[in-house]
Amino acid sequence: MDISLQIKSLLSQAELYRTQGLFTEAREKYNAASDMIHKIDKLKNKDNLLKMISGKIEQLEKKTEKVETGPSSPELSEKGQNLIKNLFGENDLEKAVALAKFGQFERAIVELEALLKDDVYRVEAGKNIMRCKIAIASVDDAIDQYNQWFSGDLFTAGQMESIRTYLQPIVDRKGIDKTLPAPDIPVETEAEAPASGGIEFNMPEPEEDILDITSIGITFTSGAQKGKMVEFDVNFQSGGMLSLIISKSDRGLIEELQVGDQLDDVQYYSPIAMFKGTAMISNKTEIKAGPKQGDFCLDVKVAST
Amino acid sequence: MAIFNLKKREIECKVVYYGPGRCGKTTNLEYIFKSYKKQVTGEMVSINTEGDRTLFFDFLPMGLGKIKGCDVRVQLYTVPGQVKYSSTRKLVLRGVDGIVFVADSLEVRREKNMISLKDLQSNLKEYGKSIFKVPLIIQYNKRDLADEGIPLMSVEQMERDLNRQLKVPSFPGSAVKGTGVGVALKACLMETLKSLQREFKWAK
Repeated sequence: MDISLQIKSLLSQAELYRTQGLFTEAREKYNAASDMIHKIDKLKNKDNLLKMISGKIEQLEKKTEKVETGPSSPELSEKGQNLIKNLFGENDLEKAVALAKFGQFERAIVELEALLKDDVYRVEAGKNIMRCKIAIASVDDAIDQYNQWFSGDLFTAGQMESIRTYLQPIVDRKGIDKTLPAPDIPVETEAEAPASGGIEFNMPEPEEDILDITSIGITFTSGAQKGKMVEFDVNFQSGGMLSLIISKSDRGLIEELQVGDQLDDVQYYSPIAMFKGTAMISNKTEIKAGPKQGDFCLDVKVAST
Repeated sequence: MAIFNLKKREIECKVVYYGPGRCGKTTNLEYIFKSYKKQVTGEMVSINTEGDRTLFFDFLPMGLGKIKGCDVRVQLYTVPGQVKYSSTRKLVLRGVDGIVFVADSLEVRREKNMISLKDLQSNLKEYGKSIFKVPLIIQYNKRDLADEGIPLMSVEQMERDLNRQLKVPSFPGSAVKGTGVGVALKACLMETLKSLQREFKWAK
């Protein structure tokens, strides 16, 4: 091909790539055209051509920088945030977490703080507030929040411990030499066995040591939650037997579960590790009296990990 | 993941347009929004940057009417193609039922196509899905640029690069002109619904 046609073709390609937003490719073609022009001794308007190409390359570099250094998660309008909530979350907690996952931390914190009033979501909302604070500010900010909650009465001792065991490893990993204050956990479980028709814990069989498990995620294979993983806090653990308290408002979640059911896809969360395994429903009882009346106690036996 | 309401006989499924940056995913959805007004059940929403690059996703809801006794609704999404939005791509891909992989026919984008397809495979794997099993269609986009003397890969070459192992239905197209957009979407919906029928056995 005639050299002038080659140059024309390169410039034409460069211009197309530029309009397509392919700035790197456009720059390469402009550079190739420029190199070709440089090699030609006698070319009409050589200097003007080179100046024009140089100008184009400069514009491309500015655009490239703008694209590459732009914020990865700018704050969206309320409309955009509402869309994220509706498309990526089923319940209020998931909606708030979706906002955080899309970098909308300020709004996520507002939504999560509203969920602190709800006993069902309180711990997870607390943990996710910690995540957001770390993302937008610092671990120190998260620690300050923890200390504020610790000196208040919003969280029970067990709930506070759950947040502490979540946050402490993060603090340690960041090299911050700070031990979070630990709540006094009463020896008796909160769901105390009422006088009659109450909870009975099966005596655990002798078994190998099981890590302290703070929560478990159960993937439901039937019902409204089919295919979804729902995380439950462990209220009490005795060896491989875990007791979960399920709020009455969530009875629908466990309606399909029966004693003896094998759970094949269980995620176990402990302060130092997360692992998968199976479990078996050992007991399912409605709490008939006391502060948790109407709630359910679900006993889950760790079958394998 | 598709939502199937047995009582109401309604199915809602999710189709994601995937591909490298600037390949034409958003342009596909824009064409569908403009041309399939009867089936579109809401506004197309695009969350993008000033430069019109998709930042988080595009979203377009559609209703396909009654199919085998079930009311079928589909949500179309695109993912951001830029490398730095990898975590967002993963988020948007969650619960996907069918995929249209939009490949860029420009020769200079050959490697980006392959990197993007590998990225898709990796993200699907994290959700426990196999790229060999999920309903997948490939669109070879920007075929119109051949008329402008821009170096394009041949469809045969793109088939070798991207579809040699997958062997999924593929369609040449030009999203900006609208060719191949409808046929790719229909093919993807057919594959997706076939897959959901196997899973839920919802046909009357």
